Amino acid sequence: MMANFDVIVVGGGHAGVEAASAASRLGCRTLLITPDLERVGQMSCNPAIGGVAKGVVAREVDALGGVMGRATDASRIHFKMLNVSRGPAVWGPRAQCDRGLYTRAVRRILDEHQGLELLQGVVSGLLVQEGRVQGVTTRAGEVLGAGRVVVTAGTFLRGRIHRGSAEGIGAGREGEPASVELARALEELGLEVGRFKTGTPPRVDGRTVQYDRLERQDGDPEDYRFSAYVREELPPQRPCWITWTGSELKEVVQENLLRSAVYGGELAGKGPRYCPSIEDKIVRFPENPRHQVFLEPEGLHTHEIYLNGLSTSLPPEVQRTFIAGIPGLEQARVTRLGYAIEYDYFPPHQLRHTLEVRGIGGLYFAGQINGTTGYEEAAGQGIVAGFNAGLAAQGRGPFVLERDEAYLGVLVDDLVTKGVDEPYRLFTSRAEFRLLLRQDNAVERLGPMALDLGVLSESQSGELGAEMARRQAVREWLRKSRLAPDTVNPVLVELGSSPVSGPISARELVARPEVPVGALAGISPDAPDLTGDSAAAVAVHVRYGGYVERERARAAKLRKEARFKLGEELPYEAFLTLSWEARVKLDRIKPDHLAQASRIPGVSPADLQNLILEVRRWRGGGSQRKEAREKESSSSTLPVPRLP
Amino acid sequence: MGGDAVRVDTIVAAATPPGRGAVAVVRVSGPDALPFTCALVPVWRSQGTGPSARRATLALLRDPHHDAALDRGLITFFPGPASYTGEDLVEIGVHGSPLLVELLVEALVGLGARRAAHGEFTRRAYLNGKLDLIRAEGVADLIEADSEAAHQVAVHQVEGGLSHRLNEIRSQLLEVEALVMHHVDFPDEDDPPVPLSRILEAAQRVERRLEALLASAPEGELLREGASVVLAGRPNAGKSSLYNALLGEERAIVTAEAGTTRDALEARLSIGGFPFRLVDTAGLRTQARGIERYGIEVAERYLGGADVILLCLSASWSWGEEEEEFLRRWGRNTPLVRVRTQVDTVGAQQVPDWVVEPGTGPVASVSVRTGEGLGQLRGILKDLAFRGIAAKDPAAPVLTRRRQREAVARARDLILGFQGALAGGIPAEAAILDVREAEGALGELVGSVVTDDVLDQVFRRFCIGK
Repeated sequence: MMANFDVIVVGGGHAGVEAASAASRLGCRTLLITPDLERVGQMSCNPAIGGVAKGVVAREVDALGGVMGRATDASRIHFKMLNVSRGPAVWGPRAQCDRGLYTRAVRRILDEHQGLELLQGVVSGLLVQEGRVQGVTTRAGEVLGAGRVVVTAGTFLRGRIHRGSAEGIGAGREGEPASVELARALEELGLEVGRFKTGTPPRVDGRTVQYDRLERQDGDPEDYRFSAYVREELPPQRPCWITWTGSELKEVVQENLLRSAVYGGELAGKGPRYCPSIEDKIVRFPENPRHQVFLEPEGLHTHEIYLNGLSTSLPPEVQRTFIAGIPGLEQARVTRLGYAIEYDYFPPHQLRHTLEVRGIGGLYFAGQINGTTGYEEAAGQGIVAGFNAGLAAQGRGPFVLERDEAYLGVLVDDLVTKGVDEPYRLFTSRAEFRLLLRQDNAVERLGPMALDLGVLSESQSGELGAEMARRQAVREWLRKSRLAPDTVNPVLVELGSSPVSGPISARELVARPEVPVGALAGISPDAPDLTGDSAAAVAVHVRYGGYVERERARAAKLRKEARFKLGEELPYEAFLTLSWEARVKLDRIKPDHLAQASRIPGVSPADLQNLILEVRRWRGGGSQRKEAREKESSSSTLPVPRLP
Repeated sequence: MGGDAVRVDTIVAAATPPGRGAVAVVRVSGPDALPFTCALVPVWRSQGTGPSARRATLALLRDPHHDAALDRGLITFFPGPASYTGEDLVEIGVHGSPLLVELLVEALVGLGARRAAHGEFTRRAYLNGKLDLIRAEGVADLIEADSEAAHQVAVHQVEGGLSHRLNEIRSQLLEVEALVMHHVDFPDEDDPPVPLSRILEAAQRVERRLEALLASAPEGELLREGASVVLAGRPNAGKSSLYNALLGEERAIVTAEAGTTRDALEARLSIGGFPFRLVDTAGLRTQARGIERYGIEVAERYLGGADVILLCLSASWSWGEEEEEFLRRWGRNTPLVRVRTQVDTVGAQQVPDWVVEPGTGPVASVSVRTGEGLGQLRGILKDLAFRGIAAKDPAAPVLTRRRQREAVARARDLILGFQGALAGGIPAEAAILDVREAEGALGELVGSVVTDDVLDQVFRRFCIGK
């Protein structure tokens, strides 16, 4: 069969959008096929992008030339930088978006792409021959050929919506049918399948909310931008509101607990602990007298309000009753009811770091199908899968980010190495190099890679070059400048910092926590612009000082371990000096290298040491010797097991 | 699952020490442990039966290849995984003849078993998750323990006392990390950020426990190694006879082994249940001139590493410049006992000045011939070397190896660094690096931490779910 496309992307959510954009920006002939073209980039749950860790991912996707950052800028109606009371390494930009503006922006940006075709349709089958994907078939009976297919089916695979203890309704999300044929087709390929659940809260008509009883929360006044390359027009901001649940809601929930889909036993899939339903919160923390509810506007031109914190699978009348018991919401009219949704996912240990399915050439998975949650996690996987599908179609090498390069690297490596036992979300806790992976340096980390891949437009490349130059200039100046006491002391005194007696480098001054780099602006005629975000980003490294260096040293050690390649052909079951658990886990995950093997739960330092010996013995002589010898030097840092 | 298909062979070895004794035990472990055993018992072989699990059964053993009777054996079958190795395991008790044991092992080898390598049973137990590394080390220590106190420590280590304590400390470290990361990852939640003082308190709790463990290391290593007691003194001061006398009385539980050539004599002995290494540097100064220097070097090496020094002087001699110099050089940092030897040769009144001079440590007056004072000397030795331990809770976990001590010390330094950094205004998300590395240090002893452990802690403690 003749291939009509280089890459076909199935699904138009956040993963599908980025995958399609990434492949087409590489120059591949790409098709995005989705059931409803009006809902490309739809925010199915809360209308917000970013947050701690997630905000960094949104910026990383943007730095790689992705869609998410621009669409967020073009639709954000409430912006807050989270964690500003902490160090800049863990700042998290978070934007409430206008749901409608977001999807329109996504569609507009996709339409800018050359070589990207959009098609409304439902994919019902996959064409696979001799372990290689050949294309897809649609419910309308069309056959579409492509050597690379990226499946981003979200919660649509055998999705079922639950509200109360009744049986539930088949749906991919509220109002849209589930995808059953595709789920079956994927399962028939012999893939392991699992089931997760997640939920969404009810929404109310804002005109029926008593705002005078709520706490108002305004967005940050500064014009923060997610996109480093394109200046979208920022919409005006709207306030959010906070209220608290009390004993009334608690009683209603406790009385009706068994009527919820989850506690009534109707729903078996595992849900995320960090995104519990209100039922879960009351059951698990009965001693907490109250729980916060954030009222978030759904858009500039709608009165609908999203009740963040009230996710529930209770029946409609119970939802109405408990909402009426919340201060400020006594009169609130419900516009949409909350629900829980259960869906199929494919445990991601079946994937390579390229997000290609092991054993089925050309088939890639991205997004919730891999057991993750969140728009940013989906978008991040989408861009990785899209690049890899496109690069493979062009016969180029894979695009794999390491854990010290990007949260995207952490995300993908966690998925393929550790698998998931609840819907996976990124946290800073998951990133061991979190001081290196910041929202303010995403463009520096990933921009040059995007440039190398050739996925930036001319104007984006220009912006990148200018930004890199600005940062370099600040870095140089900080290193070289010597400032005289009489020029810096007035500034220092004003900042409450101790004055200096001799010339001092700007770098030393910026290392002081109380001296922001911007305060040095105008102090020296040869200084570059120190007031902007570029200078602040450079200063962060100085501020964290030795800790950044320690992370770098650790990252280097990890890189060294990553040079000891393992490969899929190793007969782990025959490596008898490894523990039984390690043999099973290694065989299941098939890690690329020693560093990845060390992250598999159940593989101990002693196992790793023995693994090195086994692999060397197994490979025997020949070309692999050198590699093994290389490893020997780094392995000396691992404890040698000494058994009696 | 791939791991089930693993082909493991069956190993055999005598579990009791070589030599004659009342009973000897041969152990067989592996997938064929049971069929191999049954092949030795004609009744079971002909009827296709075998021993019942975990019950001692008496049966006649025959070597099937040579068709020769071996012995009547007591056979106990432990089906895996509920066995020491985690595999099917059979213990065969026979009469304690070295030849019989060898014939029995040979018969099993003839059936397809392989002679076990040194420590292979424990190694299999470890690989099958029956023991962690620390417990496995405890097994080695237990086997080697030659004093009651060392035995106690090893038993607790095998029972998991130390592993348990290290795991407790590690979850406290996770708690510290969770307290910090909770608010970094979930800034907008119901619970307010954890105050710095609470984080510091949690860190101090960990530090205190690490310190307590570290404090046990010198004792633990001493219990494993034995306290080194070095005999010193002029030629003919009675060192060798004292050496022999101290050993002689304990002969039954002592394994005397000569040191390396021309090295000092060294022997292990147990005094009051505590392990000692008694070192005799006797004769070193009487060697021929050419190697005298070497002899002195050896003596100095032992003296430098001594836990207690016995400076011997015959009761009829007077304290000389040589003793004075020795005292200045070695008596400063190491507990030193002045021993008057051969007290039977002098009258009770002839107590020299140096014995009553205060402030220079204990003095013991002994006679090897009459046995006088030897009991007192042993009491002094035990007191000087093991004073702290004798009074301690025997069940308290103890670090017994340098590897353990170094890892715990590293964790302690890191947690101190963390407290210093927080107090010095370093942002918690940076300072927490120290806590992570401390977890890693302990992880080298008891297995590594995964990030999900931290998140588990966060979800357990705080109501998350904006």
